Amino acid sequence: MSDPDLIENTTVATTEYTDETDETDQPPEPDELLTETLVEEVSIDGMCGVY
Amino acid sequence: MTAPGAAQTGFDPSGAYRLHRQAELRDEPFGALAYHFGTRRLSFIKAPILVDVVRALGDSVSVDEALQRCAVPEFQRPAILHALAGLAVSQMIEPRA
Repeated sequence: MSDPDLIENTTVATTEYTDETDETDQPPEPDELLTETLVEEVSIDGMCGVY
Repeated sequence: MTAPGAAQTGFDPSGAYRLHRQAELRDEPFGALAYHFGTRRLSFIKAPILVDVVRALGDSVSVDEALQRCAVPEFQRPAILHALAGLAVSQMIEPRA
């Protein structure tokens, strides 16, 4: 049903497509990194006109 | 088992959850795309087994039971639980009464 390699080795960079800019640019917490290996979140707010 | 990060999210693996009523899943080659019509957020669920678990939540009395029904290997459970906690925070899944 699943590929163990996918669970362990998938790497992800989360991207926020919003009109706001995060000027603090803080590195993600370790817990965030773990979640991001399986789930990547994107907000479509501010993408009007892109599609 | 306690999900990493559960303390911050309130996510409880012993509780019943389901796909949020305002969210839908679409199967994709990488797993599934989840879209929440209320928050207008997309989540790329990048592991098919996690997609299976999310779908199984609605028919399971607890998250732990959903993991068992989907035969999630023990070594993968912490990562799956952590991802589910994140999906709870982003409202892709919600507690079920």
